[in-house]
Amino acid sequence: MIETRDLWKTYTMGHEKVHALRGASLEIEKGEYVAIMGPSGSGKSTLMNLIGCLDTPSQGEYYLNGRQVSRMNDDELANIRNREIGFVFQTFNLLPRATALHNVELPLIYNGTSSAERATMAEKALDLVDLTDRMLHKPSELSGGQRQRVAIARALVNNPSLVLADEPTGNLDSKTSLEIMRLLDDLHGQGNTIIIVTHERDIGKHAHRVLSILDGEIASDESIPESQRNGAH
Amino acid sequence: MVIFSLFGIAVQALMANKLRSGLTLLGVIIGVTSVMTIISALEGMMGVLEEEFDRMGPSTFVVTVYGGVITSEQQWRERQKRKPLDIEAIELLEDGCDLCDQVCPRVYNSATVKYRGNSLRDIWIVGTTRNFVDIVDMEVAYGRFHSREDDLYRRNVIFIGDEVRETLFEGVDPIGKSIHVGSKKYTVIGVAKAQGSIFGESQDDFAVIPFSSHVKLFGDPGRRFNMNVKARSVAQLDETMDQVRMILRSFRHVPYDKPDDFSLLTADAILDQLNTFFKIFRFALIGVSSISLVVGGIVVMNIMMVSVSERTREIGIRKSIGAKQKHILLQFMFEALLTTFSGGLVGIVLGFIIAKILVAMIDANISPSAVAIIAGLIISTGTGLIFGIYPAMKAARLDPIKALSQE
Repeated sequence: MIETRDLWKTYTMGHEKVHALRGASLEIEKGEYVAIMGPSGSGKSTLMNLIGCLDTPSQGEYYLNGRQVSRMNDDELANIRNREIGFVFQTFNLLPRATALHNVELPLIYNGTSSAERATMAEKALDLVDLTDRMLHKPSELSGGQRQRVAIARALVNNPSLVLADEPTGNLDSKTSLEIMRLLDDLHGQGNTIIIVTHERDIGKHAHRVLSILDGEIASDESIPESQRNGAH
Repeated sequence: MVIFSLFGIAVQALMANKLRSGLTLLGVIIGVTSVMTIISALEGMMGVLEEEFDRMGPSTFVVTVYGGVITSEQQWRERQKRKPLDIEAIELLEDGCDLCDQVCPRVYNSATVKYRGNSLRDIWIVGTTRNFVDIVDMEVAYGRFHSREDDLYRRNVIFIGDEVRETLFEGVDPIGKSIHVGSKKYTVIGVAKAQGSIFGESQDDFAVIPFSSHVKLFGDPGRRFNMNVKARSVAQLDETMDQVRMILRSFRHVPYDKPDDFSLLTADAILDQLNTFFKIFRFALIGVSSISLVVGGIVVMNIMMVSVSERTREIGIRKSIGAKQKHILLQFMFEALLTTFSGGLVGIVLGFIIAKILVAMIDANISPSAVAIIAGLIISTGTGLIFGIYPAMKAARLDPIKALSQE
């Protein structure tokens, strides 16, 4: 489902060229549960931005569901982000003035879903994360864990082929972190493809496969045997 | 439809910052109001002039040597060199111009009129013939206008305007009473219907005496002498003017290769000339008032820039979940346009009210005009477009990764 070949990302800072990614090649199948791990500055965020179609590589190819996305323009990328990818961010990234329901509806606005249908779909997604009773609350009226669940509902509302979570527990205490990870585990159990970017070993161990990144290169690619995994599955 | 949702988002954003939106709106309202006040007031004034010239009638023109609109110094000098129109021209046209229906000489002098203890200064004393009433659309309230005989026998009779009647004859029937014009005594034979005032000038402070009596009283009219000529029909207006021109040219010995040394003015021609003159005036006034509109536009732009930088993160979120450039652009354009459009609506109404009060001071009236309303809407919406596009484009072009990393 995801295939990257020799991805490079180079930033120019002043006169210096910084290679954030140096030829990353990887393949991820539908239904996989993958953690991308590495210390800060290793290039894992850059890789996530590329996989999430927020950015295009300086060099190399990226195929998502068989489509070459590395050469797409801004609007085509926006389309892919809207339909194929559900983002979960460390800082939740909810609109502060909008209710939980409206936040979840947001991706549907940009693909022209009618307002009645939007409400139904958003309610369904909020039901998946067990937040139907709080859907008219604003983010400031919700706890950190609840906010992240709203963000997960928003990521799922369009039924994307890929859920991309960037340090999803980075701003949460350990108890809430566990709750969110269980939710992601469940979502994987229901057939969703999930990629988590994290620097925490414990979080990474919820996944079934761990890709380690160091200095812009994929240093290791290992499967986690069921016995060593954290979580329910 | 995506567009309706984006519109809704814009409305919500404006409502969320009520004070800020209100202040921005105020800037637009002030700008549009000032432009609309000028447009409406000018329109009202032109309306008054047009109405005034309409009274002259479509088949009538004025023969004048010094009158008409002067637009250049050269023109003014040329006019000063002309020789006055001789009063013999009246007879000449009456006899020689078969296309002329009526020829009506006119001469004005200002004088003091007295009746017993009351007196009125600076009253226009018009010397003219009996057909004056037909040509200038004046109505007799009571009594009568002069007759042919009054003129023929240079009778000392006078037809007075309503203001003269009101001041000199309050509560008294003026007909048959004698009033003094200068040192001469005149018998009042009729009173004109009140006409009100134009641009604050009373139209009723006049008195009319027979043309011959006027010449007797004030002497040769010289430069103050004009004629109103009425053609037999509107269709024959041009032909009649040609005939009058021919007669006057030979009478005044104008060489064939020289232009006329007199002017024939129709109401339309005078209005056209006035319009050209007013156009410059109008552009200047609208130009000056537009400055406030530009300031209003800058306020909109400034607030939009603040709004975009404040909401960078929101833009990043929207883009990361699939908003395209055009979606962000439209969202912010709607905000700018909503502000300027609603400011425009308020400005149009306010501008009209202020203009109405202004023109009421010169005793005129205006009604809402489609041209002014459409102009106001175009101006205000245009302001939104011009000053909103840059901040909106700035928002639309934000890089989602950078926008998201902004605190």
